Amino acid sequence: MMDFFIDPVLRAPMWGCILMCMASSLMGVLIFLRKRSLLSETLSHAAYPGAVIGVAFFALLFPAHEEWSFLAVLGGAFLSSLLGLKALHWLEQKGKVRSDAALCFVLAVFFGVGIVASSAMQAQLPVWHKQVNMLLFGQAATMSDMHIWIYGSLALLVAFFLFLTFRPLQAFLFDRSFALSAKMPVLFLERILFWLLLLSLIVGIRSVGVVLMSGMAIAPAVAARQFSDRLQTIFILAALFGALSGLIGNYLSVIASLPTGPMIVLVGTTFALLSLFFAPKRGLLFRIIRILAFRLRCLEENILKGIWKKGKFSETPSLRLSFVLWRLKRGGWIDKHSNLTNDGRQKAASIVRLHRLWELYLAESLGFQAEKVHRTAEEMEHILTPEMEEKLTRLLADPKQDPHHQPIPERRL
Amino acid sequence: MNWGYGSDAVQFAVLSAVAISCGLIGPFLVLKRMAMFANALSHTILLGIAGAFLLTSSLWGGGLFDLSTLLIGAFLAALLTAFLTESLVRFFRLQEDASVGLVFTALFALGIAVVTLFMRDVHLGLEAVMGNADALQLSDLKLALSFVGLNLAAIALFYRQLQISSFDKSLAKTLGISCGFFHFLLLFLAAATCISAFRAVGVLLVLAFLVGPFLTARLFCHRLPWLLFWSPLIGIFASISGVVLSRYILDVYGLALSTGGLIACLIGLIYGVGSFIKWLLWDRLPSFGK
Repeated sequence: MMDFFIDPVLRAPMWGCILMCMASSLMGVLIFLRKRSLLSETLSHAAYPGAVIGVAFFALLFPAHEEWSFLAVLGGAFLSSLLGLKALHWLEQKGKVRSDAALCFVLAVFFGVGIVASSAMQAQLPVWHKQVNMLLFGQAATMSDMHIWIYGSLALLVAFFLFLTFRPLQAFLFDRSFALSAKMPVLFLERILFWLLLLSLIVGIRSVGVVLMSGMAIAPAVAARQFSDRLQTIFILAALFGALSGLIGNYLSVIASLPTGPMIVLVGTTFALLSLFFAPKRGLLFRIIRILAFRLRCLEENILKGIWKKGKFSETPSLRLSFVLWRLKRGGWIDKHSNLTNDGRQKAASIVRLHRLWELYLAESLGFQAEKVHRTAEEMEHILTPEMEEKLTRLLADPKQDPHHQPIPERRL
Repeated sequence: MNWGYGSDAVQFAVLSAVAISCGLIGPFLVLKRMAMFANALSHTILLGIAGAFLLTSSLWGGGLFDLSTLLIGAFLAALLTAFLTESLVRFFRLQEDASVGLVFTALFALGIAVVTLFMRDVHLGLEAVMGNADALQLSDLKLALSFVGLNLAAIALFYRQLQISSFDKSLAKTLGISCGFFHFLLLFLAAATCISAFRAVGVLLVLAFLVGPFLTARLFCHRLPWLLFWSPLIGIFASISGVVLSRYILDVYGLALSTGGLIACLIGLIYGVGSFIKWLLWDRLPSFGK
């Protein structure tokens, strides 16, 4: 593995992939937060014809300087994806085409132009055609140290710009009208950001390829969003995830001799999926655990309430109930014979108090009929907090009876 | 007429059949705002086909381009895409655009990896993206025609339901039309259409067929039956002129251009010309009202 960082042949692709993926994931965060992730799909496809035609012109003008042809790729790709963006805006605004259809149409037509150009090159400039084919699925292996410097500085440019404009960026991402009214240079910023988005996409094309570029922009943003609500953290995490996917994806593609782009995207998606499952707070696993824990608490409180009302636990417990009873015993709410302890009695009384308070509140303050209030109170008794209890008590003037003429237990001190 | 390997007649026929399939399905897809979903499907069918081929070839020795393999592939692709994007949105609370983008790029990457690893076929990946109209045979024509039949039958059978569920979901619900079923039917038909076009024009250019003719037709008419009539017609026009143009360039300049790519360019051009004509004849015309 160390070879990949040091060996002169392997070093360039490795660092190239890392830097490119980092830049595109940084910009990916922006379009992800603006909910226009699919824009990257269209723009990267729209870059293809420009890259092909750029290489073709380069081949005709400077056939002897093949090592500089990436400049033609970059320039052409930039121009044509800018054109794609213009076409998209024109379709949406003048043509009144819905955004998804416009994205799809621009993508397909531009890609068609690219394929025509590529087939023309296949016939006329077969040697250069190989380079163009590489742009579809990405190939990092042929990069040299010079590429690292160029791509690296472009990646740094993106990162540096985001760092410099962070404040206005934050304001305008979350509240565009606020940023406008605060006289921040929103329009200027938006324009520059689009240029940078194009730049990061076309920079990434070399290693990930036109077809899968959007995955590289989306996946790290998705993964990073799972871990944080803070914009700085999301940016840093996304850059990290992007860099890691570039590193591991390139490694896998070299040892398994698979195309680079798909491997990088697969690694990135794996990160995204893992974070979707296991991220604390927002991950599926933790949300399920939270829901189950809440249900368990409801069940425990309902059992306590039941024992408090009936005086004893009178059912033959199922497996689930035995578990809950065991937990209650361990928590010191009930004793060995399933009778309430002192703590348990107080806790049960306070739950019943919340239930009856809520019933009274619904009946008195909101004008519900007394028969209809039980069901919502059955849920609210597990949700009401001590502060809400206090407010309710004050609002209802410390009542003694609920709408069904049952006594409301005294407030626990 | 010569109906042999890669002949003009076969190209005309297959591409027209593809245009008809797409022209029939495309309007519903765009109306239901599922165009980018079609884009997702067009990517995932690669994995669908690869999976279906591994399945059928081990079960009864089915070929890669048998009708059964392709249908299973389309079904797999539609199911996978729909299930994954929907569950990412519903269970993982991911926003919809990101979910679509994540799913199809991952599945396409997986498809490329599977094709390279298990089938040792590097060209399938490239051909899937580019299409190769010159390699079309009579068997492709049969396939394409059977998919046209499938689409025609489905739309003829369920025209009312599809129409109502694409314009007014709540009306469809009150009439007892199962939106979920027709949504999936449409996805399946779209996947099948992408697959039938897969060899001829490639997975990405089929999107031009799905969206372009409909957008052009909608410049001039707004009723669904007419849209369903004009979109296939515009598609056929584009594909025939595309084949003619590519043949002409080959004969005169000796330059072999990709027919699929040319057709996509033409579809774009037709839309451009169409909107120019509309602007010229319609928008600039003084009307009685104003």
